[in-house]
Formats: sequence, C-alpha cells, structure tokens
Amino acid sequence: MAYQGSTVHIACAFSLVEILAVLYRQHLKLGFGPKDPQRDYLILSKGHGVMAQYACLHELGWLSEKQIKNYCSEATELKGLAEASVPGLEVNSGSLGHGLSVGTGLAYGLLRLGSKQRVYAIVGDGECNEGAIWEALLFAAHFRLANLLVIVDANGYQAMGSTAEVMNMASLENKFAAFGFEVRTIDGHDEALLDRTITNLWASSFAGPRAIIARTVKGKGVSFMEGSNLWHYTRLTEKTYQAALSELSQSDTSTSAPVEPGVDS
Amino acid sequence: MRAAFSKALVAAAQANERILLLTGDHGYALFDEFRDLCPKQYVNGGIAEQNLVGVAAGLAKCGFYPVVYALSSFIPVRVLEQIKLDLCSEELPVLFIGDGAGVVYSTLGISHQSTEDIAVLRALPHMRILSPADHYEMKAAMELAFQTPAPVYLRMGKSDLGSIHATQPRLEWGRLLPIHSGNGDVVFIATGPLLNLAVTLAREWPGSALWSAPSLKPLQPESVVAACKQHRYVITLEEHNIIGGLGGAVAEILSQEHPLPLCRLGVSDRFSELCGSYSYLMKEHGLDVESTRTKIAAFIQKHSFSK
Repeated sequence: MAYQGSTVHIACAFSLVEILAVLYRQHLKLGFGPKDPQRDYLILSKGHGVMAQYACLHELGWLSEKQIKNYCSEATELKGLAEASVPGLEVNSGSLGHGLSVGTGLAYGLLRLGSKQRVYAIVGDGECNEGAIWEALLFAAHFRLANLLVIVDANGYQAMGSTAEVMNMASLENKFAAFGFEVRTIDGHDEALLDRTITNLWASSFAGPRAIIARTVKGKGVSFMEGSNLWHYTRLTEKTYQAALSELSQSDTSTSAPVEPGVDS
Repeated sequence: MRAAFSKALVAAAQANERILLLTGDHGYALFDEFRDLCPKQYVNGGIAEQNLVGVAAGLAKCGFYPVVYALSSFIPVRVLEQIKLDLCSEELPVLFIGDGAGVVYSTLGISHQSTEDIAVLRALPHMRILSPADHYEMKAAMELAFQTPAPVYLRMGKSDLGSIHATQPRLEWGRLLPIHSGNGDVVFIATGPLLNLAVTLAREWPGSALWSAPSLKPLQPESVVAACKQHRYVITLEEHNIIGGLGGAVAEILSQEHPLPLCRLGVSDRFSELCGSYSYLMKEHGLDVESTRTKIAAFIQKHSFSK
C-alpha cells in the first residue's frame, strides 16, 4: 500500500498494528457493520497511522482489494490521513488533538443514553503535545466516562525527533493517573498482554476512564525502520520495499500483525 | 432579545430531550431559566473550547443535538479547525451561539470583540449563519435553526436596541426581510444590531428602501438582486469587518449578477484602539449616525458625478 501509493508515515502505522489487531479481533463489538448504531467506537486520533487501520478494514471486508491497491492514487477514497468518509473510520484526524475530544463526546453521549457501548481512542505520544488532548482528559475524568479507553501509542518519536528531544512528555502514566485515569503501561506489541490488560481494565470497578500507555517501536517489524525516525517521512523504493517485505514475511505470525501492510500491493 | 433567546432555547429543549446546552463556563444569568427547567440538559465543559466543540461532534454523532454557547470571540475563531473538521465536514447537527458579537464588550478590549466571525465561517462548506436584528428575528432564527439539522452559527450582538419589526417575520434561509420599501435611489441592507442605525439613516434619504439580512449564509442571489435592482446605490451596514461579512457577500452577488455601486459600512479592517461605552466604540469605528451619513453622502456624490 505504502509502496504503491508512494506515501509517508509508514513507521507511524507499524507501531500500532498489534493494538489494532487485538481490538478488532477480541474487543470491538462491530454489529452489522461500520454504521451499526450499536457498535463500539474505535477512534484513531493519530490519523497518520491510518494505513494500519486500512489493512484491518480490508480484512473485515469493509474495504476492497481495489481500494487498498489504489491507496493515494488519482481520484480514490483512501487518503494519506484518516477521514470519516471511509467506512470504519469515525473521525477526521489528520490534524492532531481532534479525535480524542470527539471520542470523549461519544463516550459521554453513550453514557447519557444508558448504552453499554464502549469507546476506544488511540492517540500518539507526540500527539499528546496538543493542548486539546489534556482538555479532553479533564472532561473524561470529570464526567467519569467509565466507557472510554484511551490507548497511547507511545513509540517515543514524533515528526522531527524523539519525544524526549522535541517535547519531553516525561511519565505519561503519571500524567494520566494525575488526571484521574486508571492506567497501565505495557508492551504495545505483546498481543496477549494487550488483550489481558484491556479485559482487566474493563473488569475493574473503577468509576472513571481507563488508559493504556502502550510502549511501542516506531517502524516495528522492519529492522531498518525500527528506531530510525527517518521513516516518519521516507518513501519506499523498490529496494527498501522488497527488503521490508522479506523481513515481514519471515517474522513469526503469532506475534506480528494479522495483516501485513505492503503485502496487498 | 436575550429573553427571546432563552425562551426559545428552553422551549426547544423541553420539547426534545436530545438537545443539550454546552457552555465553556460562560453565560452567567442568561441560562438561569434553562438550568431551572432543564437542569439535566445543561453541560458546563469548563474553560476548554477546543474540547467542547469536539465533544459536541461526538454527541451529535450519537444522536444528540448540541447547542454550543460561547462568546463569539472564542467560538468560532479559537476553534475554527474543530468546527471545520469535527462538525462541518460531516454536516453534523449543531447550533453555535456566538454571544457579544461585534464590539458589545466595549470596555474589555479586542480579546472579547469579534469582527471577523462571519467572514471565517462563510468560507466553511455546510455552515449556515444567522444574525438576528431584534427579539422577533431572534425567535424566528432559533425556530429556523432547530428545524435545520446542520451546522448553524447564530450571531448574537448588541441586544438592547429595541424592536425593528412590529410582528414576528417569516424567516427563510437566504432571504432578505423587507423593513420598508421605497422608489428612491438608495437601498439599505443591514444585519444584526445595525438595523437600528440603518432605520435612522434611511429616514435621511427619502424614498430609500431598507432590508434586514438575518440569514447571511446562505444568502440567495435572487433575493439580493430583487432588493437592489430598482435602486442606484446599495449601502450595507454591519458590526463586522467590511471584508468577508454582509458587505462582502452582497458585493460577491452584485458584481456577478447585477453590478451597482456598493458602499460597505462596517469595521474598516482595524482593531479597536481605545475602550469606552458601546456608543463610544461605534463612533471610534465610524459607525455612528454622523460618520455614516457623511460617508454615504460622499459615496453617492462620487458615483453620481461619474455617471
């Protein structure tokens, strides 16, 4: 997809593959489809990770092979950043700091309606530079949104460098806890642990919102992308594309993504 | 006018429990009645407007009709991107109330004044803009807004200048409302509180016609052309920058459909410099009777010579 579309943000998508896989496979109640009013909501607030979600939506059958192959090509639907016009995407989140507030509003509305539906919002650690994120956390805690789970894809990098260098967020766990969240910090690539942590957080009797700080690796699964922030904005060439494919196809399928981005093209 | 607003809001909320009033810790006594009668539908989201607008989008997505109240200096300008991406792009039902529009907060300075809100919102697809002139138009505007499940901005400016209409007019999207007709050279089109000034000025040009523009977007070209075509000079008045507001909208229509000399009276692309009473500040911006009379007379003279 990324090679065919000659697009950036590859590493940003690779860091959240397991998170999405666990949510779609084990936790999201999707009902009859992307417009089911009874569905759980998955908000990808870091909309530049959308390639990983496109791959999941393709597996669900909500996006066609053709749509995936035509990613970012002339006059096509799948854009480089998440937009709500795509079935399965709930918000326009190319601009950061929007999705969490919309998800917070959804969670608040669903609670008011007495619904059991849940809202999952995935934000980036770089995205947490945005003031609107912290406004949303205040609101979620104040209104005791016990149906909201915020997952921070904490890959430690943002566009121009490491989060420590650019805008040090220090302990996200402490910050979320101080805002009134029940928080766990875990390895965001360990699917079994993600599954268990999500289950336990929902089982908790805590009367407020939950959060997971998912420690992830930007570019996970491709050795030359891992830990190299160049891959926030670098495009694949024929050579790097083949090298990435061969690494991904050799990796253990039980711990990597159910869908391997790039394979479709 | 504020009483008419509060009454219309309470009536709508009592009839529809999905209507929620969201405020960013503003409103003071304006919502006393609402909080009394619809306490469960009142949500104070704190001093956090970006989140408040995002929350409104989430609520609209799950079936609520949010009414988001703030000063017009904060909503829309501070949260323009939230309005664009979270609400307008999906044409979600929401009613924004921008209070204190123009220079109502005359002593508080430029942070609390808004003379750009119409301009920025006019450029957002799906956005509708209402600017009522008196309590009759306010009631009609609220009713029209609640009948329209789309993003609507209702601009509430100086509210204690008295009535323009004698009875409640029938308000339609895009249509100018006649205040009085005339066969003279001049037609006045004003919006919001400046209807009051326009009524005074129109008396000085006997035979002039006067229209109110409560619906600034959409603004139907045929309605504007019909109001202007029998006259030689068009004067617009608004408590807003002359760029991008009513004057801008009328200029866009006339230049394409029916060119006529147009004099746009409003805030001349400048910030307030000093503070004082509302009438002082209107004078500072050249929006008092004497300054506007002089400008209109000079405009008419210039264009009658060029004929």
